[in-house]
Amino acid sequence: MSGVDKKLVRAWVRQQSGPARRAVLPVVMLGCLGTLIGIAQAWCLASVIGSLLQTRGLQVLGLIAEFAALAFCRALCLYFQESLAARAGIVARERLRRSVLDTVIGIGPALLRRQHSAEIAALLVDRIEVLDGYFARWLPASMTWMLFPLVVLVAVFVVNPRSALILAVCGMLVPVAQAVFGIGAALASRNQFLAMVRLQARFLDRIRGIATIVLSNATDREAQALSSAADDLRRRTMKILRIAFFSSAAIDMAMVAAIILVVLTQGHFVHLDAFSMPNIYPAPHFTETLFALFLVPEFFAPFRGLALAYQDRAHAAGAAEAMGNIGDGEQRAGEETSETPEQIDPVATIEARSLSYRWNDTAPWIFEDLDFSVGPGEVLVLDGPSGSGKSTLIELLLGFVRPSSGRILFNEQDIATMRGRDIARHLAWIGQKPVLFAGTLRDNLLFARPDADKETLDNVIAAASIDDFLKDLPLGLDTQIGEGGFGLSGGQAQRVLLLAPISRMRRFSCLMSQRLISIPRPKTGS
Amino acid sequence: MTLALGRILGVWRPFYVRLATGLLLSALALLSGLALMWNAGVGVSALALGTGLAFGLLRGFGAARIVLRYAERLFAHDAMFRALAALRVWFFRHLAKGAAAGLGFRRAGDLMNRLVGDVEMLDNLYLRIAMPVLGILISLPVLALVAGYEDWRLGMILGVLFLLAACIVPLAAARMASRRSGAILHAEASLRVAALDLATGLREARAFSGEARLAERIISEESRLHQAQLVQARAMAGAGAMSYLCGQAALVLVLLALTGIAGFSLSFLSGVALVFLTGTVFESVGTLARTSVLASQVGQAARRVVGVADQDQSSGAAGCAAPEAGDIVLRDVTFRWESARAAVLHRLNMTVHAGEHVALIGPSGAGKSSLAALLLKVAVPESGDILFGGHSISTLDTDSLRARIGWLSQATHLFSDTIRNNLLLGQENIPESRLWEALERAEIAETVQALPDGLDSWVGEGGARLSGGQGRRIALARTLLQETPIVILDEPASGLDSATERSFLETLGRTMQGRTVILIAHRLTGIESLDRAWRLENGELHPLPL
Repeated sequence: MSGVDKKLVRAWVRQQSGPARRAVLPVVMLGCLGTLIGIAQAWCLASVIGSLLQTRGLQVLGLIAEFAALAFCRALCLYFQESLAARAGIVARERLRRSVLDTVIGIGPALLRRQHSAEIAALLVDRIEVLDGYFARWLPASMTWMLFPLVVLVAVFVVNPRSALILAVCGMLVPVAQAVFGIGAALASRNQFLAMVRLQARFLDRIRGIATIVLSNATDREAQALSSAADDLRRRTMKILRIAFFSSAAIDMAMVAAIILVVLTQGHFVHLDAFSMPNIYPAPHFTETLFALFLVPEFFAPFRGLALAYQDRAHAAGAAEAMGNIGDGEQRAGEETSETPEQIDPVATIEARSLSYRWNDTAPWIFEDLDFSVGPGEVLVLDGPSGSGKSTLIELLLGFVRPSSGRILFNEQDIATMRGRDIARHLAWIGQKPVLFAGTLRDNLLFARPDADKETLDNVIAAASIDDFLKDLPLGLDTQIGEGGFGLSGGQAQRVLLLAPISRMRRFSCLMSQRLISIPRPKTGS
Repeated sequence: MTLALGRILGVWRPFYVRLATGLLLSALALLSGLALMWNAGVGVSALALGTGLAFGLLRGFGAARIVLRYAERLFAHDAMFRALAALRVWFFRHLAKGAAAGLGFRRAGDLMNRLVGDVEMLDNLYLRIAMPVLGILISLPVLALVAGYEDWRLGMILGVLFLLAACIVPLAAARMASRRSGAILHAEASLRVAALDLATGLREARAFSGEARLAERIISEESRLHQAQLVQARAMAGAGAMSYLCGQAALVLVLLALTGIAGFSLSFLSGVALVFLTGTVFESVGTLARTSVLASQVGQAARRVVGVADQDQSSGAAGCAAPEAGDIVLRDVTFRWESARAAVLHRLNMTVHAGEHVALIGPSGAGKSSLAALLLKVAVPESGDILFGGHSISTLDTDSLRARIGWLSQATHLFSDTIRNNLLLGQENIPESRLWEALERAEIAETVQALPDGLDSWVGEGGARLSGGQGRRIALARTLLQETPIVILDEPASGLDSATERSFLETLGRTMQGRTVILIAHRLTGIESLDRAWRLENGELHPLPL
């Protein structure tokens, strides 16, 4: 990742986590309450045992009952903390998805020129869903890893300053060790994550191309290559992990050291006391020592939680990069919403005036100074060699992209002053590779005209020769097509989308790019 | 499910020692952790009682815990990486042998993605399922025995509480969740379809003003998904809290026993140590509900993966080698992809002589590609016979048959790799001069030469860094490199614009001299030099005048 990308990621993460931070605030507060209860519990536990050291008897039943009640409160805390974290994760993901949806729709078809549709879909679904861990676990963990140990430390200090000093010193060991061994656990989990992603990408690529591999008799060689690539990846990753695991070991070490030191140092004093007044009085520091010991795991738990949640942060960086890729077009999308003269008159004449287009300021012109006009009822066929700009011209007329110079007029109105969606309202269009949506054949036929009546539908079915293959479909019009449904061929798909053109064709000009000629001529000639 | 997991474990056989070492280290690390806490409890109370104690043990367990944990992490990760690689290679090999080659042929990319996701899910089996389960298996007897040694009733009750916290509550929660997990999977799939619809259909959506409807669909699928997720998260949180309460109940019980209530006889020293031990043992049970949900997901993934991998339809590996060349004869061949769908080929008869160039034309969906699948033995005819050089191909060795037939189609995959590796597909004994010769004949050599990295240029995912025509030519060069006597060209130029298509077909005509060529297309452009052509319609062949 280059420096610029890193900055972008950081900015995005900051922007996203602002409101999300507020959303996880209740989670943090419950966690804080839980820690306080934990401290009280540790005190109860230590007092019960301290008292039992003096006399074994039932005098401690009250304290035990208190401990049990506190445990119950803490269980409630845990439950609500986790549910609220899940809730916050959901809210954050929903917010993010809406904003990505708005961006995608705002940029519209122009986005498909830069990005593969599968990437856009992955961004809308997986990239956002995977952020659950970021919002629900990483954010609270990153907000509390300093706070909770500090609360524990203060409590221990009040009761047992010596142990508090030990805890503080051992606690400092964690960040120091992490600084020494790279970013430590963080780095480890990020590297492991990246390694897995790379292995997965290669595997997926090979599985997708398995027909090619099998039919070239390359199965054995590819299997070997896959295995050696995985092996290589393992060796390199392990080299990094070997160092990086030191930082997880550092947390272990700090905790073990704290336990041993608390026992030994405090024990020493207990021991001395025991020698001077053997077995008659209770050791004065016993309860305090126990209290400190019980809180050692509580003190280190947030550090561990943070290390565990670090992988979730790596997902956020991935999502931010993906967001950055589509974000380029946001400005352009913004322009479109500014002027909205809603105009419903059907367009009768399409006119192009000195229309020119090129990809960017330095690219060669795709076409320059194009002038033409199409009147009502006219059919204009565009023909030309590949790369001559036929589909670009169509996309300009559809308002998917904007001309570099020149104007396009619908009934004398410049479409630059119309919103993308309003332009589309006047046009019907079928692309070279039409997209069918998941749903029944009927849903797809009606996509462009949800209000079409049965007669229109029947006309279109006849006109577009859909009846030719309709009889082969198991459930007729109610057959599921599109993703995961019954596969239709490209030509069949083009016909399914003809409803919009045919039902709007009454007063329309017609432009045909040469590629569309594979569509059969409508039988009824409507 | 156990059967499927058994198969997966079988794949890991070569790594049993490593995997077991990882588990052993994890067990020892856990035990030394428990011993450390036990000793801390004993130590602190022994001092309070004024009894001396050797603290060397405490330091020893502490050091052991740190070192063992580190060793466990290293070993377990190393073993896991090895196991993952083995699993992927195994799956790849089986998929290649089995029916899925046919799936790839039919471009069922979505199904492939899901399967790969399932394989990924299996990665959790070792680190995130086996390890915690081992933890339970060790903690339970340790707790029960240590407590039972003091008082058998205490041991029993603590054991039961631990079972409750570590097994029964998580399993019950997972059971409840698994009822939801169907809903979650379903909602996730619908969300993905809705998002893909919007993304691929951005143009249609704009043109037909359908954006709001598509976005609404995404949002409603999303809220269904999140509703299901929230219910599941609450179940998990509830299970975690229940498990926590079990642990606290165990602590209360130990304290009560320490008071001597109900005739419990527990020495002070052991009692305090038991408090520490109990606290430590129950520390990690809160996450077991998630482990158990994960386990059921992994089980399902294993079933699907094993199911696909075992779908071996390679009919009798032991066939005789295919002849070098010969006529291809189809006799009364009937074929359908699925029994529910109409036959795509119906009692088809056709002969292609060695060296002939023939074309098969037909409307989309007429079953032309299934002919290629049949010849390559990716699919098997329902009835009838296919002969190559006088032998029925069902009696021929599949590999040797495929070595005679080159296949080039729109679905031919370019791997996310260098041009060189895309050409070689792993072959090592081919000199570079032959690569250039193949590129030359595919008329792409100049373009490759002009690239900064030449043959070692990266083609990108699915050939994304090349133009459509360039990608097709690289694929052609790969086919040419195989020197097969027969070439099947399945819509080799579709998806290219007309000029590129034209020049690509011209290249094809020049390179295919002396080979048997079966061209499959939905129309002829007039450039192809053909000996014969047929039109395939309604499963039947009609000769076309040339």
